Amino acid sequence: MADQQNMLIRLERLRKEFNGVIAVEGLDLDVVEGEFLCFLGPSGCGKTTTLRMIAGLETPTAGDVYLRGRRITHLPPQQRNVGFVFQNYALFWHMTVYENLAFGLRVRNVAPADIDHRVKEIAASLELTDVLHERARRLDLSTMQRVAMARTLVTDPEVLLLDEPLNNFRPGLREMMRGELKRWQMHLGRTMIYVTHDQEEAMTLGDRILVMNAGRCAQLDTPRHIYEHPANLFVASFIGRPPMNLIDVRYTVEGEKAFLVRDSLRLDITPLREKIERALAGETQLVLGVRPEHLSPGPFPEEGWVQFSLPAVVDLVQPLARKKFLDLKIGDALIKMVVSGTAPFRQGERFPLGFPLHRIHLFHPTTEEAML
Amino acid sequence: MRKMNGSQILASSIRWLIGLLICIVVMLPITWVLSISLKPPEEWVAYPPTLVPLKPTFSNYIILFQPGNPVGGIAEMVSSAEPVTRAFINSLIVVPIATAASVLIGFLASYATVRFQAGGATLPLFVLTTRMFPPVAFAVPLLVYFRMLNLIDTQLALILMYTGFTIAFSLWMMRGFIEGVPRHVEEAAILDGASPWRVLLTITLPLVRGGLAATGLFVFILNWTEFLLAQIFTSREALTIPVQVSHYVGAVGRFYGPMAALGIVASIPVVVAGYIIQRYLVTGFTFGLVRE
Repeated sequence: MADQQNMLIRLERLRKEFNGVIAVEGLDLDVVEGEFLCFLGPSGCGKTTTLRMIAGLETPTAGDVYLRGRRITHLPPQQRNVGFVFQNYALFWHMTVYENLAFGLRVRNVAPADIDHRVKEIAASLELTDVLHERARRLDLSTMQRVAMARTLVTDPEVLLLDEPLNNFRPGLREMMRGELKRWQMHLGRTMIYVTHDQEEAMTLGDRILVMNAGRCAQLDTPRHIYEHPANLFVASFIGRPPMNLIDVRYTVEGEKAFLVRDSLRLDITPLREKIERALAGETQLVLGVRPEHLSPGPFPEEGWVQFSLPAVVDLVQPLARKKFLDLKIGDALIKMVVSGTAPFRQGERFPLGFPLHRIHLFHPTTEEAML
Repeated sequence: MRKMNGSQILASSIRWLIGLLICIVVMLPITWVLSISLKPPEEWVAYPPTLVPLKPTFSNYIILFQPGNPVGGIAEMVSSAEPVTRAFINSLIVVPIATAASVLIGFLASYATVRFQAGGATLPLFVLTTRMFPPVAFAVPLLVYFRMLNLIDTQLALILMYTGFTIAFSLWMMRGFIEGVPRHVEEAAILDGASPWRVLLTITLPLVRGGLAATGLFVFILNWTEFLLAQIFTSREALTIPVQVSHYVGAVGRFYGPMAALGIVASIPVVVAGYIIQRYLVTGFTFGLVRE
């Protein structure tokens, strides 16, 4: 995806240790000019540390950071020209909004008339004109966020780094601000790297997502591709709500037919036989993954669908407004299924269960990598 | 005003009562000193004592500045004392300079230890060791040094000692305030291109203004009331107010009136200083506005 021309930031074998604890390990990444890239992962996975290394606020233990092909690994943050929006905005509380916005320009010795012009321009584009002379500490949260954005944008940074900027918002407002953020990014056309632990945020905002786990890259791809083709068990279980159903199964062949078996539960996957055998390389254990939203009660079309050999029994119904979460028992496996809110399922009900064959995920039990 | 029910009225009354009690406890000694300072000699230790002087007089105050003035008939008793003007000037020079130096050094040192771990984790504790012995333990060796440096009975000697002995307070008090400045705020300024000095002066310093004021007032009072070192290291030229107070004790007794009058006069600068900086004292740290 990244050709040399428009590549903005490159991370090479980046590694960071804090007192012997590894925060980031062997991270390679190319950030393309103009893209919205999300770092997604559970807390402590190293995403903020990576962001801070790009900004220069942390020094990598090993590896390099490049900006437009220039190695900046040890360049002090003052000389990098990156914008950073902190989780708590880190506004200069003792200054007015105007002074907050002007600070970076004054530090850079921009001419006063120029400062005034640029501050007013950025304030207008982020709807801050009315609060320019308010003290930063008196603002409400969403205004603070816009000030934080404006303050980083006014110095015209190469890249905008955002560290969970929506964390302080209550849920409803959070979705609204998410939309705002997306609009600004399209309007401003800036390269943004956005750290979040919220997969919805990453899915809606990101052109690409870097999923991180324990300091390493778990997968780097478009949101759609990550959802449809998770590269490993971690991504499969992390992305999607409720998470993907993962069932330990055994692969067996009977005559011409191939099955995934778990005690008396069987799944006929003969069409995938060749692919699976190539990937298994002699192994017989593997992990079957199916997303709750891809499961469906019968009857099924002849072509392209697979059906479990045992019927599913509804164990629990959790109704939400527009959909229902069902806990199903199938054999000794407990799996989740998502159906429409109006679907009339009751506890104890039995029905055949299947899913489209192309929605199947298979993972290697030890390497945890996707096999298909 | 909103209406209060019975229990709220009770709670409110109890709060007021406790407040009143605290006020009395705090104000009574001051009122007493004020009262004595306005009394003629025969009332100083009269029994039963009266809070309001029976024959109020300003002679105690006049005596402070004109020891030979015959007003009130106490001049011959205290004529040994110098006018307080010199002690006042000394205190007004020594204490503000020593306080400013101590707070400045303490602020910079605590910033260095908090943000850059300068000197390692033990440096702040090491600084604290200067307070682990009573100052008198240092007094004798210092007396020898200052004798060699010809600094006995000079303002400079007091400034040096008062600065040195209060740095531990300044450093430790400022640490708490500096730790209260979110690191991210400084990092934001750094990313805006600001140099470390610029961050310190334009971001951190204004944010800990309240802490500086509180520390300054604390150290000021500490130095303003210091007696022991001033008594040992000064005799005539550089004596300070606390030493001057002790001069109103003579062979025939204690001259409570002039002592009390000097006590009242001496508290004026402290009250003024406190009044000037009180608006910084209540800046209320609003860093908690956004959760960390």
